Amino acid sequence: MKKLLLHSSMMVLLAILGVNVASAQQPHVYINPGHGGYDSDDRNMVIYPFHQGDSAGSWESKSNLRKGLALKEILEKKGYKTSISRVNNTTADDLALSTIVALCNQSGADVFYSIHSNATGTSAVNNFPMVFYRGYTGSPQIANADVLAADLEPYLYASQSTVWTHNYQIWGDWSFRPEWGTQGYGVLRGNRAVANLSEGSFHDYIPEAYRLLSFYYCWMEGWNISLGADKYFGRLDQYDLGVVTGNVRDDRIKRLQENPQPFIVYGDDQLMPIHSATVRLLDLDGNEVQRCVTDTLRNGIYVFKYVQPGTYTVEVSEPSHFTQTATVTVTANASTYQNFYLKRVRDTAPVVVDYSPVWSEGDPAVKCSEQVVLAFNWDMDSTTTCGAFKLDPPVEGSFKWEDSYYRLIFTPTDAFDVNTLYTLTLDKSAEHGGGTPMDEDFTMQFYTQPRNHLKELAVFPYEGAPVHFTKPVVELRVDSLLDTYNLFNRLRVLDSEGNELAWNKRSIKYNKRGDDYGYVRIPLTRDIEVGKDYHLILDVDIADTAGIHLPAARDIVFHGVDAGADKPGMEVLEDFESVTGYNCSNNTITASSDRLFGSKSMQVTYDLEYCMDGYWTRISAPGYLESLTHQFAEGDTLGVHVWGDMSYNDLWAVLWADHEGCEKWISLGKINYHGWRYISVPVDYLPEGDFRFAGFEIRSEGAPMCKSGTIRFDNLLRKRGTGSVDELPLANMQVRVAGDYIVVSADTYVQGVELLDIQGRAIKTAGNNCLNVADVPAGVYLVRVHINGRTSTTKVRL
Amino acid sequence: MKRLTMMLLAVGVLLPVMAQDVEVVALKRLLEGVEGPAFYPVLNSSGDRLLFSTEDGALKMHDLADGVTTIVTRDYVAGHDACWGGDGKVYFVTQQTGEDRLVYRAGQCYDPATCRVNQVTDPQHGAVRAVPATRGGALMAPQRGFRSSGDIGSATWTEGSRLHVIVNGEERVFSPVDSWAGYLWASLSPDGKKVAFFAAGKGIVVIDLRGQMLAMLGKYEMPCWYNNDYLVAQNAKDDGHQFTSSQIMLLKADGTWQAELTKPVSMAMQPTCGGGKIVYTTIDGLLYEMKINIYQ
Repeated sequence: MKKLLLHSSMMVLLAILGVNVASAQQPHVYINPGHGGYDSDDRNMVIYPFHQGDSAGSWESKSNLRKGLALKEILEKKGYKTSISRVNNTTADDLALSTIVALCNQSGADVFYSIHSNATGTSAVNNFPMVFYRGYTGSPQIANADVLAADLEPYLYASQSTVWTHNYQIWGDWSFRPEWGTQGYGVLRGNRAVANLSEGSFHDYIPEAYRLLSFYYCWMEGWNISLGADKYFGRLDQYDLGVVTGNVRDDRIKRLQENPQPFIVYGDDQLMPIHSATVRLLDLDGNEVQRCVTDTLRNGIYVFKYVQPGTYTVEVSEPSHFTQTATVTVTANASTYQNFYLKRVRDTAPVVVDYSPVWSEGDPAVKCSEQVVLAFNWDMDSTTTCGAFKLDPPVEGSFKWEDSYYRLIFTPTDAFDVNTLYTLTLDKSAEHGGGTPMDEDFTMQFYTQPRNHLKELAVFPYEGAPVHFTKPVVELRVDSLLDTYNLFNRLRVLDSEGNELAWNKRSIKYNKRGDDYGYVRIPLTRDIEVGKDYHLILDVDIADTAGIHLPAARDIVFHGVDAGADKPGMEVLEDFESVTGYNCSNNTITASSDRLFGSKSMQVTYDLEYCMDGYWTRISAPGYLESLTHQFAEGDTLGVHVWGDMSYNDLWAVLWADHEGCEKWISLGKINYHGWRYISVPVDYLPEGDFRFAGFEIRSEGAPMCKSGTIRFDNLLRKRGTGSVDELPLANMQVRVAGDYIVVSADTYVQGVELLDIQGRAIKTAGNNCLNVADVPAGVYLVRVHINGRTSTTKVRL
Repeated sequence: MKRLTMMLLAVGVLLPVMAQDVEVVALKRLLEGVEGPAFYPVLNSSGDRLLFSTEDGALKMHDLADGVTTIVTRDYVAGHDACWGGDGKVYFVTQQTGEDRLVYRAGQCYDPATCRVNQVTDPQHGAVRAVPATRGGALMAPQRGFRSSGDIGSATWTEGSRLHVIVNGEERVFSPVDSWAGYLWASLSPDGKKVAFFAAGKGIVVIDLRGQMLAMLGKYEMPCWYNNDYLVAQNAKDDGHQFTSSQIMLLKADGTWQAELTKPVSMAMQPTCGGGKIVYTTIDGLLYEMKINIYQ
């Protein structure tokens, strides 16, 4: 009511005095183009071809000034009074925040616009306008500052010359920057005018940085702010002229090819802006009303200022593109946006100007993973070109375009077949972007190498593997050196709920040049849980350095176990707390703190020696031939905890009988695992009498996968025989041969079954309780069953 | 003294007992625990009364002698540019937005003796500014202003890039330095013989009453006369959006010497002087009273 009375009394008084109300009540706008100069706080975006610090390049201080000067010019044409804090872009013009506020207050302005552009300051790339006022959002410190912002933002956001990534935002600066308390933006502190700080767009969105180099584009932001002021003061109907503006782009050529540094682009910003395009505004009689030329600063912006309302034709011409026109209607005090997408002039037929692989009879064969690349003299039409692409024999694959449709890349979905002659024909139906087909077919041939997939030599965990829960390690071995770039992202371990377990990337080990095979070995950062299932996923794109990848993805299920769990009925014969007396030829035996029990384990760092039957080494127990303490007899069970190195060597326990005067070897299986594992085997096929534990042997019959390595041993156990070879009475385990299968049943979860020959060599494995033995010759075998980190071995006859 | 030193260290504004020629001998928080954030402090010439603005712009007066704080007006932004007249009254400006969205400002005068506010100019569109004078005060306005009496004594104010000075009833206008953006913060020295003001882009300028430049004191803001030979000013830095540092400086009026009274990290700003005291606020609105000794 108070305001109404005030306003009414003023109006009456002025009317009595015969004063022209519009001119007497001239709104006063204070304009603050933010920043100033070319200094460190003036927001220099380094964009090609400008170097850092080049004043010709992108500076927020420079574009802010252009916007501010445009706003001043436009507002004055519209009858406003203006003040502006600077008209040059020098360091001296970069006034202190308190000074700007005081100047505004002294001027008596009604409203204040501080003009800026924004930056995320992070790798995130956005582009949208924001406006701030002092106070909390919805509670401005100066009345109507929120209204001023709300009146401005739709006009900024209406711009169709840019590409917005999000809707506009309006904030009270205390809400937007809660960490600043009520300090807020400096130009809004103490400002008596109805004040806004406008961030018109994001200058770290690179296409926007190029647009902000355009005088036209900055002028349009000034124009849009003037519309916000008109809306706020109720003056939208008090100006008779409008503007026409927009963006001129190629209709399909991508803009990235022009820039050495790739950057993120959205929407139409992917298309190349057209330089030096002449844009003419023609009236209905074809007379030129205005003309402008797009600059060469990679933005394609044009604008026609102060245009009388009416219908016009906008004509865009540029020598390398076909001329285009559009009809526009200009409205008073409004913006008309008209973007153009010019079609390039392509005046010859398309031809293949380069290709790969280049192969002729007698040349080395081509890798089966090779991409086929065709380069053209024109940007090509994707549909007709891909449709004209034919390989014989046919191969499934995908197409990718590069260099704005100048280069076509065909990648086989899997791999080319081995030892095959392929013929590629690109028939002449392939067209360039202008619709002209090729004059003749293009043909090329290549012959492929005899290898088209990466061969998996070994993996741990393998299917059904029991994995000790602490410090689990994953390893993949293949027949060629792996491409290690980003490799850890192509292997994943998931728990049963699909959650990915993190790698300890600091401890990752890769193959290196000169290795016999390719490998990657990565520990997990955390322990796994006992009793839980896990999945090791190998992506199909795990590839060697030649780009040859796995034949298929793998999903390998393994189980978390505690290899150190109690073994009822087993007695400890040797705890390996001391390694005194143990020896291993020239190899090193030490006590290791990496143990399962007590404080030490026995660690053997070995290098296998060549012998007649292959490679081997012997770890001799102390008191060899003399000790009577470690005795085994037929029907006993021998158990030992082994820390494997995935050497794929065979491990044996050695027993000695005085009265027999000979050694017996008990197979402890292949060392196809990393980390601790409990091995339990029956002691059988022994003559009468006691045999003493005499040590271990590591053997490899052929060329070893790992001739050297490290292995650890902890608690050697024994259970006196009962005539049965079942070491897991609690499990109530049964092994049956049922047709083509060996089926294991127990009162607990069976984690895997291995079929061994009578020498203990693995023949087949399964990650569950069923093993298909249809293809196994008849005979006597051993079946090793894995349950809860323990094993039980029994004989079967097939 | 030990207690004082500890307190100064605690507030983080103490300078090493100062350069060569000035010593901070006392520093204390004002209105601690009894007022919220306070800005734009203005001491009267005797230093016993202090005007300040609350966060929402209301104008208050604090009596340093008896500790009583009085609300002058709750009108928002009234506290931003208030001043003491030589007659002991407070001159300030209130504003309202009309339905045409223009801002209408009115001059006000507060008499501490009667605790009454009188509107002395009608609300009018444009710049209305309170100007202190040695024998009263004035409200400069685009249409009809106000002077507290026919002879307000000496006064000075700025308008654009012009400096107005009234001496003995005679108004003179000077533009001693080029400043495109304009002049600000003009004030007469206590003896009325010099004028200090701020020229945007140039800094603090000291002239005599004939408009002759005496000194350029550097790019500091908000100068106020500590005595006839020294001024106190704000030295604030920013990144274009927010303040990055701010401190209080002591400047010799002849431009031959200057010293820091607080460190840049103190974020101290908006100094005012009177009766040998310096009062300033901080970026978060904490008022401090400082006393110094200057050794010639």
